[in-house]
Amino acid sequence: MEDCSSGDEAYDYSSDRDSLDAIENEEPDYPGVSSKSSSTKVITKESLLAAQKEDLRSVMDLLSLKEHHARTLLIHYRWDVERLLTVFVERGKASLFSEAGVSMVECQETNSVLSSSCTIMCEICIEEVLGDKATRMDCGHCYCNDCWTEHFIVKINEGQSKRIRCMAHKCNAICDEAVVRNLVSKRHPDLAEKFDRFLLESYIEDNKMVRWCPSTPHCGNAIRVEDDEFCEVECSCGFQFCFSCLSEAHSPCSCLMWELWIKKCRDESETVNWITVHTKPCPKCHKPVEKNGGCNLVSCICGQAFCWLCGGATGRDHTWSRIAGHSCGRYKEDREKNTERAKRELYRYMHYHNRYKAHTDSFKLESKLKETILEKVSISEERESRLRDFSWVTNGLYRLFRSRRVLSYSYPFAFYMFGEELFRDEMSNDEREIKQHLFENQQQLLESNVEKLSKLLEEPFNQYADDKIMEIRMQVINLSVIINNLCKEMYEYIENEVLGSIQVGNHGIAPYKSKGIEKASELSVCWNGKVSSTADKFLPSDCGTSGKSEQDFFSFFFLDFYNLEE
Amino acid sequence: MVDFARVQKELQECSRDMEASGIRVSPKSDNLAGLTGTIPGPIGTPYEGGSFEIDITLPDGYPFEPPRMKFVTKVWHPNISSQSGAICLDILKDQWSPALTLKTALVSIQALLSAPEPDDPQDAVVAQQYLRDYQTFVGTARYWTESFAKASSLGVEEKVQRLVEMGFAESLVRSTLEAVGGDENLALERLCSS
Ligand SMILES: [Zn+2]
Ligand SMILES: [Zn+2]
Ligand SMILES: [Zn+2]
Ligand SMILES: [Zn+2]
Ligand SMILES: [Zn+2]
Ligand SMILES: [Zn+2]
Ligand SMILES: [Zn+2]
Repeated sequence: MEDCSSGDEAYDYSSDRDSLDAIENEEPDYPGVSSKSSSTKVITKESLLAAQKEDLRSVMDLLSLKEHHARTLLIHYRWDVERLLTVFVERGKASLFSEAGVSMVECQETNSVLSSSCTIMCEICIEEVLGDKATRMDCGHCYCNDCWTEHFIVKINEGQSKRIRCMAHKCNAICDEAVVRNLVSKRHPDLAEKFDRFLLESYIEDNKMVRWCPSTPHCGNAIRVEDDEFCEVECSCGFQFCFSCLSEAHSPCSCLMWELWIKKCRDESETVNWITVHTKPCPKCHKPVEKNGGCNLVSCICGQAFCWLCGGATGRDHTWSRIAGHSCGRYKEDREKNTERAKRELYRYMHYHNRYKAHTDSFKLESKLKETILEKVSISEERESRLRDFSWVTNGLYRLFRSRRVLSYSYPFAFYMFGEELFRDEMSNDEREIKQHLFENQQQLLESNVEKLSKLLEEPFNQYADDKIMEIRMQVINLSVIINNLCKEMYEYIENEVLGSIQVGNHGIAPYKSKGIEKASELSVCWNGKVSSTADKFLPSDCGTSGKSEQDFFSFFFLDFYNLEE
Repeated sequence: MVDFARVQKELQECSRDMEASGIRVSPKSDNLAGLTGTIPGPIGTPYEGGSFEIDITLPDGYPFEPPRMKFVTKVWHPNISSQSGAICLDILKDQWSPALTLKTALVSIQALLSAPEPDDPQDAVVAQQYLRDYQTFVGTARYWTESFAKASSLGVEEKVQRLVEMGFAESLVRSTLEAVGGDENLALERLCSS
């Protein structure tokens, strides 16, 4: 089961998954969960092309454009079709195009193909070349193929595949990708492939709604969400993560809070603080020496005595208030105030960290218990009994795992929400106190119910009589409902009452989902009704996620590029 | 590999209208990857009368990658480092186009001498002075031109005399010296090659 633990902080939550499926058939108490096809999609190596084509199609159809123009526009607008169309409607075609470097010269001379009977003076190499050895771009600039090829190679190697500009000075036009591919592949087939990969991956890298799955080793997939970046998703490889910051799913903590928390835990900065507050290096041997009692004269095991306030070496002759022959003039009270403050901060951190850790530890233990509990289920199922359905056990287990996570992340949330680091000036002290109090009530209520559920599920129910089992069953189902509602309320409280009233910073939080983290579904795209009939002729009907190689797809790119003209 | 065929053609083209432009490009050695450019300071600027030497290195990808240029002659200008001679000019960086040439690049540098862009400075000290105390800036720039961009402290008459003694006609010597901004060595080179 410990199959994908990466690092200390990322626990194996993949076990949530199996039980999720089980929940489907029972439990009318989860309202409004329409099953199956989620709006979150997995984009695999195979479906990446199809996903990209889908967006290209819509722009090509709506603006009647060639594919490379549509791609240039989409790359410029970071694959945000809606924004692109808004610019189109608000500012018109000309400005939409010129901003993105698409030139719409209605070419008299049909694009790129020049006759071999004429010669052309290439201004780059300053040579005369035959017409068929030169290429005219959409912007009208014409140079010899050798020069274009050199230019493309330099740009691809510079990592600029996505926006290779025309060679003419101050010409903002983006070169036709088909010309680039064609010319470069004649000299460097591998570089042409790299170019294609860059273009393809732009769909992921330049796209706000698509992210690579952060699994290590990388599963090769990307995830596309529909409309909210603040969500938690599960890739088809089983990895669950926060879509917005790509770390483990951490709601109800915001991404910023989580980042700070992880850092704090890693640095153990508080421990370091503690050491600096409570010990001082000996001026002779440099070992840390702990202060002992209220006296400001401390002595090291090496025999050296020194002044606690300034750290300077002294003799041993001293009274409560001064050391003979030593005056350091440090303001004693200030020191002590700092000590007090650091101590308070440390205790506060420890308070939250202990609870956070307790729940994550419980989660790990309970995950291990899962096997045992499921075994109990199978034993029970085989018994001659009128009880056949044990899905309440798996459902209960699932609820337990889910709420454990919510509980553990609620502690770093509270640490920052009600601490001074992030929202010091955002709430009055009274307000903070009231809100914290209410939040802690919710937290404690949730906590006690989760512990009850945990205990119940650990009972050896396989040895019990039917009546007793029925009783446990009822309790588990009831507790599950209560816990689910408490989680939901906690998220709502955070969203509406606590964070909702604060305008500072970006603290989007993935919404609570009763059914747990959304599993992205496989993307399947097929060219259907929306696609123009012209294009249909040249596209395979079984495109989508079938096993076609990229190479095949690119030959189709070519086909429809040349045939879309008409 | 540098496209040396093109560099050759550029050099020919450049020498053809050197009289008119005053801009010169010549190879440092047989290897065309290292060259020296010379531009006259634009009239009506503190650089007037100076002759500015620019070191040119061609990268392997030339002309698909920009040439590397920096001032050899010390110059006081917001977009040129007074220490290293580095030039801050967009066409020498991301705005380079293979359709540009060494000569057009040098013309752009000459234009930069006429129209500094203190908001995008290479030399912050100079830029500050340009913005806050323009008069002092002009004074310093002119002084630097006098001190570093003029061939020698010799008077023009002495230069004319020495060149005439080498066997060139006096009128030709005078016009040539003028064309190269008073640089005796440049004048001699040009007289010898014409
Ligand atoms: Zn050419
Ligand atoms: Zn162009
Ligand atoms: Zn994955
Ligand atoms: Zn996050
Ligand atoms: Zn010691
Ligand atoms: Zn004492
Ligand atoms: Zn002291």
